[in-house]
Amino acid sequence: MTCQEVQLNLSLYLYGELDFAQEEAFERHLEGCALCERALNREKEWHAAAYAERQDVSFELLSECRRSLRTALRSGRSPELRTSWWARFIPTGFSATRWSVQIAAASFLVFAGFTAARWMDNGRLAPGSGSGFARMGLLDMSNAHVREIEPAGQNGVRIIIDRVQQQEVTGNLDDDTVRQWVLAAMQDPSDPGIRVNSVEILQHQSGPDVRDALINTAKTDSNAAVRIKALEGLRQFAADAATRRAVEFVLKHDNNADVRAEAIDILVPADRPAPAMTPDVLTTLQDILNSEQENDYVRARSLQVLRAMNISGPVY
Amino acid sequence: MHGSADRSNETALIRAAQGGDAEAFEQLVRSYDQSVLRMALNLLHSPEDARDIYQEAFLRVYKKLPQFRFDCAFSTWLYRIVANLCLDQIRKRKVRKEEAAAVTTTSGEMDRFQFLPEQRADVDPQRQLMSSEVSERINAVLDKLTPRERLVFEMRHYQGMRLRAIGESLGVTEEAAKNCLFRATQKMRAALGDFL
Ligand SMILES: [Zn+2]
Repeated sequence: MTCQEVQLNLSLYLYGELDFAQEEAFERHLEGCALCERALNREKEWHAAAYAERQDVSFELLSECRRSLRTALRSGRSPELRTSWWARFIPTGFSATRWSVQIAAASFLVFAGFTAARWMDNGRLAPGSGSGFARMGLLDMSNAHVREIEPAGQNGVRIIIDRVQQQEVTGNLDDDTVRQWVLAAMQDPSDPGIRVNSVEILQHQSGPDVRDALINTAKTDSNAAVRIKALEGLRQFAADAATRRAVEFVLKHDNNADVRAEAIDILVPADRPAPAMTPDVLTTLQDILNSEQENDYVRARSLQVLRAMNISGPVY
Repeated sequence: MHGSADRSNETALIRAAQGGDAEAFEQLVRSYDQSVLRMALNLLHSPEDARDIYQEAFLRVYKKLPQFRFDCAFSTWLYRIVANLCLDQIRKRKVRKEEAAAVTTTSGEMDRFQFLPEQRADVDPQRQLMSSEVSERINAVLDKLTPRERLVFEMRHYQGMRLRAIGESLGVTEEAAKNCLFRATQKMRAALGDFL
């Protein structure tokens, strides 16, 4: 090696990236050349100086990153059913991370080409113990379901599997993620028990996200007990215009008398003077009085309100 | 970086994570996330950007893991994702910086220093005082490297990755990675060799 060659390769030598023969030639030259030895020392110095510039990661930054990744992953691991209404929810209350939506929508995509032997562990096709499939847990269908299946290429098939991941989340309702989960559970279509519990948990929380969720549940939940619970939660927002409109809607349209009774109690608290009524509500109350099917409590309360406001209901 | 025992353990972790095992995935993340974060932090000199890269990288890993076929080392695959994200970010910044520079030159000699690398947080103030001039030079050179040279230098000099792995991560040959590193070190030497 010449001096020039050595000096061009100083860094690669220090990095240990010269091949064996090159390294030997390099070192042999160095033994007899003071000039190149000095050059190597200078190279070492700037290597060290540059290395000293290295920023290390603080514990805080690392744990913050880990935390937010966990949050994004957990909030994303939701079964398909919950995804659709989630999307509706996100613009109002969801601020946790911009990724959650994407991840929520993304399900595991598994491309299972039957010719791709490597993926299947040396081509052992039998789904018994030791095969690629079994080890990857793909045949454990207890928490999974096939959403889509279609042919792909010769002998191939493309399968989209939704996997349900059980996770425990514990935390304070001030925590955005926890709160979002409770709001999510309020919409769980499969289990009214979970919906009632969720509403109960949120009942004493404030904030527009809670109010909107309660309004939505009061107006649309298929289970009357859940709707009543939601209305109870809305009491704290009774002065709010959007809440009143929603409760009026419930009073007018809900087919369950107990729900309507709860609604009228919110609109017109029995222990306080009735607040100003919109003409719409008054009409509703008069309709209630005229209705044959109305439940006695609701009728009595309606009559009470109309009398208090000096509006004569029909005589009966 | 990883011995063979670690590697077979890692393979098991990857398979478990592919099967939906959240704990396995988290373990996998934890064995690499510190060096991923360090790389992003050192390349971008911004904790916020580093955090974004971290999040985006591991979410991509999570999403794409079922498609990982063990064609290459997991670390290579991971660093390919991280490298691409960092390259994008560096390029975006370069464009912004050039646009900003173009604006200021028309309005006369505004302070050029606002376009130097952002002030670093978390640096020992005493050390910074002693070697601030060296620091400035080093950062000025790093800043002048092309995004790819910058990345290769980061991976080799700071992360200690082998050129072969760097090449695989960047989707180039080992030789191309070596040339990149060669150019980067030439520039560093030219700026620092006689200064130290
Ligand atoms: Zn020589």
